[in-house]
Amino acid sequence: MQKQIDPQPVVARPSSNPVSRYWFQRNRRWLGDVGTIALLLLVLFPFAWLVQMSFRPNRDILGYELLFTPTLAHYKALWTGAFPASFVNSMITSICSTVLALLLGVPAAYALSRGGFKSSRRIALWILATRMAPPIAFTIPFFLAYRYLGLSDTLLGLIIVYLTFNLALVIWMMQPFFDGVPRELEEAAWIDGCSVWEAFRRVTLPLSAPGLAATAVICFILSWNDFFYALVLTRTNASTAPVAIVNFIQYTGWEWGRIAAAGTLVMLPVVVFSVLVRNYLVRGLAAGGVKE
Amino acid sequence: MPAKRLGWIAHRQRSFLAGMAPALVVLALITIAPAIYLVLTSLTPLNLTLPGSAWDFSSPAGNYIDLFEDPRFSRSVWVQVKLSVATVILQLLVGLGVALLLNGGTRIRELARSGFLIPMVLPPIVVGILWRVMYAVDISPFHRFMAFIGLPVPSLITDPNWALFAIVIAETWEWFPFTMLMVLAALQMIPASPLEAARIDGANNLQIFRYVMFPYIQQTLVVAAIFRLIDSIKAFPLIFVLTDGGPGDVTEVTNYYAYRQAFTFSLWGYGSAIATLMVVGIFVLSWVIDRLTGAAYAEAD
Repeated sequence: MQKQIDPQPVVARPSSNPVSRYWFQRNRRWLGDVGTIALLLLVLFPFAWLVQMSFRPNRDILGYELLFTPTLAHYKALWTGAFPASFVNSMITSICSTVLALLLGVPAAYALSRGGFKSSRRIALWILATRMAPPIAFTIPFFLAYRYLGLSDTLLGLIIVYLTFNLALVIWMMQPFFDGVPRELEEAAWIDGCSVWEAFRRVTLPLSAPGLAATAVICFILSWNDFFYALVLTRTNASTAPVAIVNFIQYTGWEWGRIAAAGTLVMLPVVVFSVLVRNYLVRGLAAGGVKE
Repeated sequence: MPAKRLGWIAHRQRSFLAGMAPALVVLALITIAPAIYLVLTSLTPLNLTLPGSAWDFSSPAGNYIDLFEDPRFSRSVWVQVKLSVATVILQLLVGLGVALLLNGGTRIRELARSGFLIPMVLPPIVVGILWRVMYAVDISPFHRFMAFIGLPVPSLITDPNWALFAIVIAETWEWFPFTMLMVLAALQMIPASPLEAARIDGANNLQIFRYVMFPYIQQTLVVAAIFRLIDSIKAFPLIFVLTDGGPGDVTEVTNYYAYRQAFTFSLWGYGSAIATLMVVGIFVLSWVIDRLTGAAYAEAD
């Protein structure tokens, strides 16, 4: 005959109220989920508030009733102003700078990954230093030099400045992806008569495509988000969307509806992209710090 | 045969060098050349309204001497220290807390992760604008709610005592996801067996965190702190939109002061000197942290 099992726990727990404690333990999964959702709503509240403001009609822009008739008036007003041009500028500079950084940086990352150069540690430190240096240290010399080179307030000028962070980022991010591609595959291609760069283009690069895509998206986000360089180096012709918002505030004051609409438009591409590359974000934003 | 093989290796290395060269040349042109130009400018009294001040090296240390006697500069360094220390500590605490919560491993928490990282990827100017909305008395839901229940609160960003605190909140909101993501990645690398063992031995949650999980994420926390510390020195868009360095100069960090000197007052030499000191400061800081943490790890191993 079996002994009756003692329902009491063997280890006495140092808890003042065992009932509530067990209740909490048993329900911790869904309690945690509820807590997560509540916290998420709290964190995203300022973000959601800006988006809803952009759809609120002007006469009750200050209202906080949940129900209102959404209007696209603010977006339409933006469309007729200088904002679309700056949006296009943002697109051009971000895309061109990303493409240039990839064209220059991807081969360099591959060479660093495979070449076994003695100086690769020094290059890594240099790249890290570029990442650490404050933008003001770049903007002052770039601003002064651009005055003489005729590059101030041009898209080309901005594209070059964005390379200061994008190029370093590409080299840093792509290297571990190339390290992960087995060398045997390239060697087989070499034996079949491919040159070094042919083998790279046909074998290694396609295998690193996800990494390449993630790197490109992060470069795009960083250029798109830039405010400081664009503020300092552009005036009217080449001003990007973030700067256009500020100019707009300076000329017309705090016209909340339109500012909210412009803000929503500027953050839209970034939010979409970031969800796509979520898993690579840490490596990109902490470039230089996360050891693989 | 060996000669041919050597020839191939040499050829391969040459190809690698050729692939690397353009990037390194461009990187040198856009990083090292400006750095040299910055340091040279910091040795001159360059002011674009005064012709001939560009390459005037008659008193090379002039800007630096002025800096040490400039109370506004030392105040800006102090504001920077307060901002950096407060935001880094808050970001670590909030980021760690949210990461522990999200590590629960349910589907909902997995999905919530994408939501929590939104603040970090938003354009900083938009972060500034949405906090400007939160801090504007006439439009902020918070202020209107407080007024509605009969406890009106004055705006934080126009109050000299609270303006820096307002920036700290916005900055923490923007960047806690960074720590969160890094800690989450580290938490998911912890093997299951020590956690199981601790639980069987009757350790409570706090003990499990302190003695089992914490050692695994310690290094990640240090790395996150270093990154956030160094990035906090670059704080610009938030201050630009929220307070413009004010009221007075209570939120004027060193970066902002350098920007003002150069781009508002056209004192390029002086601004360059501040920027040079910032670069030096950041490198010294990184070096010290590297030595300190390196020593701590050597001891721990």
